Formats: sequence, C-alpha cells, structure tokens
Amino acid sequence: MGYEIAENLKHALDLLRGNKSKAQVIAGATDLFLQGLPEQVVDLSGVPELTCMEAKDGHLYLGSSITHAEAAHSPLINEEASALAEACLSVGSPQVRNAGTIGGNIINAAPAADAAVALVGLGAEAVLVGTDGRSRRMAVEKLYSDYNCSTIDSSSEIMTTLVVKLNREEEGSAFSRFSPRRALSLPLLNTAVRLHLIGGRIEEIRLVVAPAQPAPTRLIKTEEKLLGFIPGKDSWDEVAKIASDEADVRGSLLRCSEQYRRHLVGVLTVDALQKAVNRARNAEGSS
Amino acid sequence: MKKRPIKFVLNNEIVEVYADPSESLLSLLREQLGVKGPKEGCARGECGACTVIFENRAVNACLVPAGKAEGKKLITIEGLSREARLKGAAAHPLQEAFVEKGAVQCGFCTPGMILSAYALLKANPSPSREEIRTAISGNLCRCSGYKQIEEAILDAAEKMPAGGFG
Repeated sequence: MGYEIAENLKHALDLLRGNKSKAQVIAGATDLFLQGLPEQVVDLSGVPELTCMEAKDGHLYLGSSITHAEAAHSPLINEEASALAEACLSVGSPQVRNAGTIGGNIINAAPAADAAVALVGLGAEAVLVGTDGRSRRMAVEKLYSDYNCSTIDSSSEIMTTLVVKLNREEEGSAFSRFSPRRALSLPLLNTAVRLHLIGGRIEEIRLVVAPAQPAPTRLIKTEEKLLGFIPGKDSWDEVAKIASDEADVRGSLLRCSEQYRRHLVGVLTVDALQKAVNRARNAEGSS
Repeated sequence: MKKRPIKFVLNNEIVEVYADPSESLLSLLREQLGVKGPKEGCARGECGACTVIFENRAVNACLVPAGKAEGKKLITIEGLSREARLKGAAAHPLQEAFVEKGAVQCGFCTPGMILSAYALLKANPSPSREEIRTAISGNLCRCSGYKQIEEAILDAAEKMPAGGFG
C-alpha cells in the first residue's frame, strides 16, 4: 500500500486496520504536504460520510472534510455558526480555502488555527471513530496535547463530524482576528465568541482567544464578569481591560510583543462581542 | 512512495501517467507532462504562481499530492488557450484582456492570476472590484501590476458572454 483513496468510511477504516498503525489519513493535506506525507496514506477527500452539512434535532452536523471555502460560503453555517463562517473566510487564500478542511484545521493543532478557534468558541464537539470500532465524542478544545500536537492518532482514528448547537432566540456568535495583511497571513491574535441574551442581558457566553495555550483558550473570568452584562448600557472598555488582563498571551520576536498582543485581546474581544450581540438581536427580530 | 498509474482529465483530454502519488501535482504537471504553464514560486502555497483549476476550483498545485488527481478534472492555462483555439479565437478573453490592459510584466504570476480570475468568473460572471481583489488575494505579483490586473479581469468579465467562454 502507498497512496489509497478511500471510497467510504468503512473502506477508510479497513485500510487503516489492514496497515496496523503504519498508514495515516489525510484530507486537504495543505499543511501535511509541506511537512512531508507519511509513507502510507489514506486519502479521505472522497469519503461521502465526511461531507455532510445539515441541521437536525437542534444541532448542526458538519462533516470534517468540509473545506474552508464551503464553510465560508454556506448559508446554513453563516446563519447558525457565523463565527465559523467568518473564521474560514480569513484562512490563507482562496486556493488554500478550496483545499484545506475544517477537520484538518483542528487535527493539525496549530494554536491559533482560525476554524478551530471558532469551533471552540461555538462549543463544538468532534465525533471520532476508531479502527477498533469504538467511537467517542469530545469537546474540540480537549483534542490538543501540546503545541501543534493533537490527541488524535491519524493512524487509528478518523474525525467524522463536528456537532454545534443551533442558535436559540437571541443567540449569536462572531469571530475577529488581526493579522499584518488581509490575505495569506497568520493571525497575531484571534478570538471567537458565542453568547445568548435574555431580556437584553448576557445570560450565557463562551469567549475564546488564541494563540495562548496549545488549545484555543476560554477567558473564564471575563466570561463570568460578562454574565448579566447589558450591551448598550454597561462599559465595553471595562470588558476589554478584564479580557486583556486575563489572557495568557506571550510575545514573539517574529510576530509581536506580549504587550501588543494583550492590547489586541481587548480590542478584538470587544469587536467580536459587539458583532455577536448584534447578531443575537437580529436573530430575535427575524424569528 | 511507490509509483502507480494516475489517470485524470487535463484540459479536456484524458491523461494517464505512472508517477509517485506523494510528489506534488505541480511537479507531475511540469516534469512528467511538460505542462509548464503552472510555475513554481514559493512551493509552499503562498504565491499562487502554480494555481490550477481542480474540479472547478482554484488550488495551489504545489500543495496537492499528485495522488489526489486520480479521476479528477484539471485545467491549466494551456487549457484556456486550447479552448480559445477551438472557438477560432487567438486567445481566451481573459488572456486578451491581460495583454490589452498591460497586466503582464514579467509574466511569472500571469497563468496563476488568469486561472484565479477564471475560477471567479465561472462562479460569478459580473464580480465587483472587491470580489476580484479577494479572488486574486492568493496570487502575488512582484512587478506590482495589481491595478492593471484588476482592470483586465473587469474588462474580460464585461466581454465574456454570460455563462462564460466555454
């Protein structure tokens, strides 16, 4: 075996099983190809089970092989997971977005991978099936073991689906990033938020920034402070300061100083929060 | 990786090559098939000089393992020239517009630029300037000809029949 193109999920698992931890799965391969492909490859891009995109029973089910371009332009994802659509539109270039997949964005485990940050912000869970026949469902942020290291072993496990809760009334999400250029530029910082308003107050919230830890990281204290926050009345400046103080960011000689990154945390979290609030309010208006 | 036959449709013709599926599609096209339209610039998906149309979408051929081409439809700049010849034209409207608007200087980025524009116009026959800028945001031109490139794509969009040229 060398380069095998799997026809369906069972075929892919059979190929992995037949090659006892020597073969690895690939999807878009935009990152993996530069690192060097493994000697034995199972290509998942033709596996129909990994391309689903549907809303069912209060959840959005997204196949792991959906490309960034497909996610960015999907009306369903734009409506139900705006943060993911925005994040996917900011990845690389049109060419990269046409090839790279959202599942690959997580498994490549870069600490500030845009789609992964949005999915953690949305509270997405990943469904994984193993060659041993078992399947597990994990929160996306639990899939990181270290910087650029995933807990997923691509020789024995396949991520099939990402599951995101559908928006309730007055719920919305958003993603914001800052990078030196508008295209083909990694983010100096990115952030994703999902919030639920009740009676004009923030009732539930998830707020994530990256790069900080190996996995996209929630700002738990800032989230707590934001509970009960009334957009339009309470101070965004204070939120920016709390988020900026809480974030565990570092400086890098190549990218930017810690101080600047901290500043970006405040600016970008407020930007994302305001967009999410507007979407939550509009969702209410349209329903 | 062990070589194997890879069969695909290149510019409307079926081709079959015996190749290492882990080499890049770019090297397969250039070195094995002598298709020199796609260029190698950065070889890491940042410059877009190797852009080809893969199943109707623009991709960087330098990032695609050759094995992925199996059973797929690919178009390179040679395909656009061929399409034009079959219609009795000297060049594809996009190629003509690039020449007329002075959008070609050294020419290294041109095939990739034109193919990104081709993918755009297939999906969106009357794009705005902003949409054009997004469509070519993965293609670098170091002769700084973006303005003329944008004009050329707008011009081609106006001249191309609805539904595209071929």
